[in-house]
Parts: sequence; C-alpha cells; structure tokens
Amino acid sequence: MALPVLICDDSILARKQVRKSLPESFDAEFQTAGNGLEALAVLRSQEIGLVFLDLTMPELDGVGVLEAIKAEGIDCFVIVISADIQPEMQKRVMELGALAFVQKPVNEDKIIGVLKQYGFI
Amino acid sequence: MNNLGFSEEQRDCLQEIINVAMGLASDKLARFLNTFVHLQVPSIALVGAMHIPEEFENRYQDAEAALVSQGFFGNEGVRGEAIVLYQMENAHKISALLGYEAGDVSEIEMLTDISSILTTTFLNGLADQIENSLSYSAPRILSSRHGNVADVLKNTSFHWEHALKVDISYQLIDHSFNCDMILLIPGEAVSNIKNILDRILEAY
Repeated sequence: MALPVLICDDSILARKQVRKSLPESFDAEFQTAGNGLEALAVLRSQEIGLVFLDLTMPELDGVGVLEAIKAEGIDCFVIVISADIQPEMQKRVMELGALAFVQKPVNEDKIIGVLKQYGFI
Repeated sequence: MNNLGFSEEQRDCLQEIINVAMGLASDKLARFLNTFVHLQVPSIALVGAMHIPEEFENRYQDAEAALVSQGFFGNEGVRGEAIVLYQMENAHKISALLGYEAGDVSEIEMLTDISSILTTTFLNGLADQIENSLSYSAPRILSSRHGNVADVLKNTSFHWEHALKVDISYQLIDHSFNCDMILLIPGEAVSNIKNILDRILEAY
C-alpha cells in the first residue's frame, strides 16, 4: 500500500527537489504544504506516515510543527530537511522527535541514504 | 517587491538558494559568536542600484551605522560588491558578547571580521549551488560615522546598475541583531542570474 507522505516547505523549488530525489521504488502518495500551519491542518485531519519538514518557514516554522506533533500525539515519522544546520538546531529537532536531519540542498544520495537507514525502502 | 522581471518561479528559486546560503552563513556566525542564531526567512528584492541610497536612508538616518564592503569575482562574468550595513547599536551588543568595549578600535575590526564571515560564507554557498566559484577582495569599512549612510551608498552604488537587496535578521539568544546585506551587481549579471535560475528550474 502506498505510504501517505507530506512534503512541507515554503519553497516550491525545495518541494520539487525532495520529490525528484525520491527513488521510483518508494511507493507513496504525496501531499504538500507551504508552511507549518498548512502542515498541521493536514496532519490533524489525515493519517500521514512520513513528513519531510523544512524548518525556516513563515506562519509556523518546523520546530513549531514538531512541538505540535509531540504535544498532540500525532503519529507520524518526520525527516527534517533544512538549511539551518547549526548543531544546536539539529539536536533540538532530534529531541523533539524527528527521525533524521538532512542538510539542504537535498539530492538522491542524501534522501535514499536516510530512507534506507530507516527501512522506508 | 520590485522584481525587475523575475518570474514567480525564478524568485522562488533564488529565494531558496539564498535560504541555503544564509543557513551556512548563520552556522558560521553562530560558531564565531559561540551562540545560537534564530533564522528567519530573508526577504529579497532586485532593485536599480540608484534606488539603494533612498531605500536605506530612512532606516539608518537617525542611527550611527557602519558599512563594510567586499568585492567578489567569479566565472562567467559574475562579479559585484557586497555591502553589509549595521546599526552600531546592534554592533555594540555583539561586541559586548565578544568582550569588546563600545567604541574600541577593535570593535571595527570585529565588524570587518563578522562581515567577511557573513559575506564569504553566504556568497560561497550561493556560488556552490550555481556551480561557480568566487574570489574576494579584502573587506573594507566604508563608514562608521553618524548620518551619512545615504551618501556613502550613493558613492558606492553609483558604479553599478543593479542591486540584490537581502534583508537579513539574526536573532541571537538574549540579543537581537539585524543587518542588511546588499549585493551590487552589473547589468549583465541580472540576465546571467536569470539564465542560471532557468537552468536550475529546468532540472526539476
């Protein structure tokens, strides 16, 4: 069965970069969100298996999304994809329950590596 | 935003490239200051260089400001001048963080260092993504005096046709620190940039 996946980034280019880096073998159904609030609206109303989450976004940032996921007990895996590579930020998102941190810009190697590591492909 | 003919797709693409470059620059800044930097989405605009003095006159007219400039040169005719503008009030906060006295001669050196870190890390990050590589001239202080920001910008931007204005806001824990970065670029660079953006967009 296809995995419901949410790609959340305020940049159209960044969302396409994620999509294009995913292998054919990854059986998924995609939805997108342009900021954290949009992402939460999707997460609260639908079952999402995996979220690719940007951090620096307008309205609500990725940390806010992770906090809400944790507080509301929303059941999904989150892979953070961000340009904010400060060690403290990476530590913070991992503590908030993110599965992995991927540095932008993404490419096939980075995405496939992390998907393999956590058994998504 | 005055976009000088950037399409929405091109603007989105440039914004993302700048976000990535900003992330690298912030990481360097955070390490230099030994603190954590809260990143915000930078606002970008491409404007005529002649409008630059008036764009910044209001924001800096009542404040003591410092301007640090650094030239950059790359392949395919990519060249320009990067200017970082600070309000000294902000700079004093940073120098306090690093243990300098306000008005200290070394405070100016500190600003030169920070500007160089921000400019070169940012521009290298930008260049990497567009498969270019840049070299730099030594950073120089254009002004650290009161009330002449517009004049200094007028003299500097006079030689250039276009400017990519990047409003950067770094918030440090316990401190807030804002600066503006202006990239002055020659006219032909704008069409080069558009071509580069289109090339990236085509790949997706």
